[in-house]
Amino acid sequence: MATLIEPDLGFKRAIIGLDAHDLTACYQCGTCSAVCPISSAGNPFPRKEMVWVQWGLKDRALGNASIWMCHQCGTCNSYCPRDAQPANVMAALRDYSIGHYAVPRFMGRALNDPKYLPLLFGIPAVIFLAILGWLGHLTSLPEGRIVFSKFLPIMAIEVTFTLAIGLSMIGAVMGGVRYWRAMSAQSGSNGHDPRQHVIATVFDILRHRKFRECNEEPAGTRKTYKGHLHATHLLIFYGFLGLVATTTSVGVGIYAFGYLTPWPFWHPVKILGNVSGAAVIIALCVFLWRRIADSTRAGKSTYSDWLFLTILLLTTLTGFFSQWVRLADLRTLAYPMYFVHLLFIFFLLVYIPYSKFAHLVYRTVAMLWSASTRTEPALRRG
Amino acid sequence: MGKKLGTYVCSGCGIGAAVDVEKLSAAASPRGGVVRRSAAFCLEDAQLIAADVEQGVDSVVVAACSGRVNRDVFRFPAAFVERVNLREQVAWSHPPNHDETQALAEDYLQMGIVRAQKASPPSPYTEANERTVLVVGGGAAGITAALSAARSGAPVVLVEKETALGGYARRLHRQYPTRPPYAALEETDVAAKIREVQSLPSVGVMLGSRVVSVSGQPGNFTVTIAGEGSASAEITVGAIVLATGWRPEPTDKYERYGLGLHKNVVTSMDLEAMAARGAITRPSDGRPANRVAFLLCDGQGDDAHLPYGGNVTSLVALKQALYVRQRTEASAYIFYGDMQTPGQHEYFYRSVQTDPGVMLSQGQVRGLSEERDGSLVLEVSDTLMGGDIRLVVDLVVLSTGMVPSTVESEGALGLQYLQGQNLPTTKFGFADSHFICFPYETRRTGIYSAGTVRQAMDLTMAERDGRAAALKAIQSIEKSSAGQAVHPRVGDLSYPGFFMQKCTSCGRCTQECPFGALELNEKKNPVLNTNRCRRCGICMGACPVQIISFNDYSVDMLSSMIKAVEIPEDDEDKPRILVFACENDAYPALDMAGIQRLQYPASVRVIPVRCLGSVNSILIADAVSRGFDGVALLGCRPGEDYQCHFIRGSELIETRMENVRETLGRLALEPERVQVMEVAISEADRLPALLTQFVDVIKAVGPNPMKGF
Repeated sequence: MATLIEPDLGFKRAIIGLDAHDLTACYQCGTCSAVCPISSAGNPFPRKEMVWVQWGLKDRALGNASIWMCHQCGTCNSYCPRDAQPANVMAALRDYSIGHYAVPRFMGRALNDPKYLPLLFGIPAVIFLAILGWLGHLTSLPEGRIVFSKFLPIMAIEVTFTLAIGLSMIGAVMGGVRYWRAMSAQSGSNGHDPRQHVIATVFDILRHRKFRECNEEPAGTRKTYKGHLHATHLLIFYGFLGLVATTTSVGVGIYAFGYLTPWPFWHPVKILGNVSGAAVIIALCVFLWRRIADSTRAGKSTYSDWLFLTILLLTTLTGFFSQWVRLADLRTLAYPMYFVHLLFIFFLLVYIPYSKFAHLVYRTVAMLWSASTRTEPALRRG
Repeated sequence: MGKKLGTYVCSGCGIGAAVDVEKLSAAASPRGGVVRRSAAFCLEDAQLIAADVEQGVDSVVVAACSGRVNRDVFRFPAAFVERVNLREQVAWSHPPNHDETQALAEDYLQMGIVRAQKASPPSPYTEANERTVLVVGGGAAGITAALSAARSGAPVVLVEKETALGGYARRLHRQYPTRPPYAALEETDVAAKIREVQSLPSVGVMLGSRVVSVSGQPGNFTVTIAGEGSASAEITVGAIVLATGWRPEPTDKYERYGLGLHKNVVTSMDLEAMAARGAITRPSDGRPANRVAFLLCDGQGDDAHLPYGGNVTSLVALKQALYVRQRTEASAYIFYGDMQTPGQHEYFYRSVQTDPGVMLSQGQVRGLSEERDGSLVLEVSDTLMGGDIRLVVDLVVLSTGMVPSTVESEGALGLQYLQGQNLPTTKFGFADSHFICFPYETRRTGIYSAGTVRQAMDLTMAERDGRAAALKAIQSIEKSSAGQAVHPRVGDLSYPGFFMQKCTSCGRCTQECPFGALELNEKKNPVLNTNRCRRCGICMGACPVQIISFNDYSVDMLSSMIKAVEIPEDDEDKPRILVFACENDAYPALDMAGIQRLQYPASVRVIPVRCLGSVNSILIADAVSRGFDGVALLGCRPGEDYQCHFIRGSELIETRMENVRETLGRLALEPERVQVMEVAISEADRLPALLTQFVDVIKAVGPNPMKGF
């Protein structure tokens, strides 16, 4: 039975609006699928996604694992004979997906619209200011050696973040489930059991296996963007994990061993934190440089791309600055800097399911889906 | 009347190095009359020939380069000129200083001399001088043809069956872009052209009129025109432009698409009318059509699909999608088998693509049903979207096929020709002959076709056609009044004469003439309409009693040429092969082989013929009884995709081969000795192998036992 399609001009316009205005130029030659490392005979990606978007077939375009299996190598952009920029279209679809599956919906919209930026920073600012006000630190900064926990007690931070991240994790899980269901609705089959693939998928992510395969696939003679992608993402990934490990270690140190902060500079955990932070900054600089220097092959850069990269960069930088001004004993600078650092951390972590950071949710879901169905991108190199 | 010959043997361009010119010249006398030699007759020495002609030489034999080159150098109007091709077909294609090469040159020279002895310059027929151009059909092509002819100074009569000019072109709301950047739709220029054609004093416009009969010939056609209700008028015209246009394919062909069954299924012409009135709406309830599907109906195996395709449907669908998109909330869905947007139209396609509300996909509509509210549900397979789809739309627009009006009586001109009232058409009913080589030419000389009666096309092309056909018509008038042939033997003054005392009134010449030039009088004798004749000589080839001859081309001349060839006896290594080569394709290909210095057996003797169809079978019998070991007939491709300049020549030679085989059987000769071969003008490279193989076949069969009889 033929499936009913309902072309949605609004959806098509929305994708075009996400900096994918060249998608109308596609005439379905399939060159993109010929060069794409994750395309296969049964799954001509991204050609089919291009026609779906051209026809405004929202459910098909979004309920689809391939768009998240794509690691934006930009090869299709380099080879497209009509300059339809398929990679930009896929990026726009991912952008749109994040808002589309977001729970609550509003958060998805807010992270995609600059006018909500004050609100998004306002939420953590109000929370932390309230705590500070209650402690009386708004009128007078703590005296003596700079100790951030004297300014904002670890407990207050832990409670705030645990609650906020807890809420956002519920949102993330619900978003992931909605995506999974959308894919099930499209492929017309249910009851895939992803559980047995979880460990394998986690290892794939840790090894960046898909990323590496995308990178290695020989495409032809044209210059593509992907050369550095695998390495750079590996750097930022482990840099970020390092920072997470640092924070976790500090928490464990404080609560399990009563080992209060600040810890000395030479402490292994401190060193891990600093090295990880540096790794993140270096990787971010490479990403930013590529986006600015080679917009064609790197693909489009929308508000949400710049926002995510900037927030991550500023989070890391304010962390470093806080450390430096603390060591320099600049009291009036150190505490406000720490405050700002906390805002950025809040923004980065709590808004994960709604910002570009949501790729860690959706890409993981897509990888799980692919592993458990084997219908979605079987890599040609096997 | 004794003929005074002059023979001019050139030794330039390598001829002197390949053959013994002195010996050759010696062989020319005494039959060749005055014999002269030069290292380059095409330079100052051409004066020698001119001087001789002035002194009374009336037949000039130039033994030099191919007759296809230096025509102006060797033109002496007072004399018959025969060109003997010693350069391309002797010196350049055979081993130098070889006795077979020398024999070849000597034979060619003798053949040229005997032809010159028998030929005389023709006296042209110049009796038909009417200069009026009749244009039948007042659509885009017809109006443009009338304007074009009038601007060139010809009086014009424009006949239109409707009561207004403009045809389908007038009903077009807009046309797709003709100018850079090929994005915006344009107004048509039809209204302006209608005004102009009606304002020109040299154009007589006859509305509500039809051509009911045409008789006569180019330069003097008698045409009867019947008006609506009124009495018919008879006019004389010099040439006719047929621009009767197209008709939509019958509605019943589109029943599977719901045409005629569902109100909201319309044709592209219906949509033009709707767009001209204003909004695109659903005919069922007048509500705006927000979802409009365009079906090109051009799938493989689609019975609504015509066997010929074109880009018109693709471009019209793109254009009309923009009509739909006048309202921003409306979408146009185009399903095609092939999106054809050649040339600059590609820019238009790209421009339409940028509109998000235009959605394109390959796809074949397998089913169409109507909802209770009048909406239509399409079932489409073979889409690019994966799997079969269903789609609900408000309006379906079908690209109905364009059928040339010649398939109906409307396109007929009521030709008072023995071969029938209807214009002969190509396989799909188009009034055309060979669409690459002779566009606008029909198979009735003096009648030229323009617009969609010739090929499915759009407005711009139809207008271009109108201009071109008008020029063809004027050319025909000019040539006819000077007694000259039109394409492909442009300027030829000769025409066939009939030795009526011996005519058996079999009528075969009248049937085989590709152009219907011959009529029968009351005594059943053939009568030539000279200006209809294209001078191919097919009648000459057809005549069983050989009474049809041209002044410079006849069965007798060809037969004498055959007999002029020296046949070596008792030498198995020196077979003789006679080659009749079509002068339009095979002969130039042989020249080309020489130019490329390709070598082929020197045992061939090539006689150029106007068309293979002009080869009378008696000539083949002559050749074999004379002792030729084999006869090759090099012609063009016959059949549906014919390449014959005279349409039927190469087809007719096939039927004549029946006779030839019978003759061979009677003489107890092997049928392999006579073969027809297809050679296109571009196939010089194939010729050496083709001829060598044939010589091998003949050698295997053995020498002709008739030699020496």
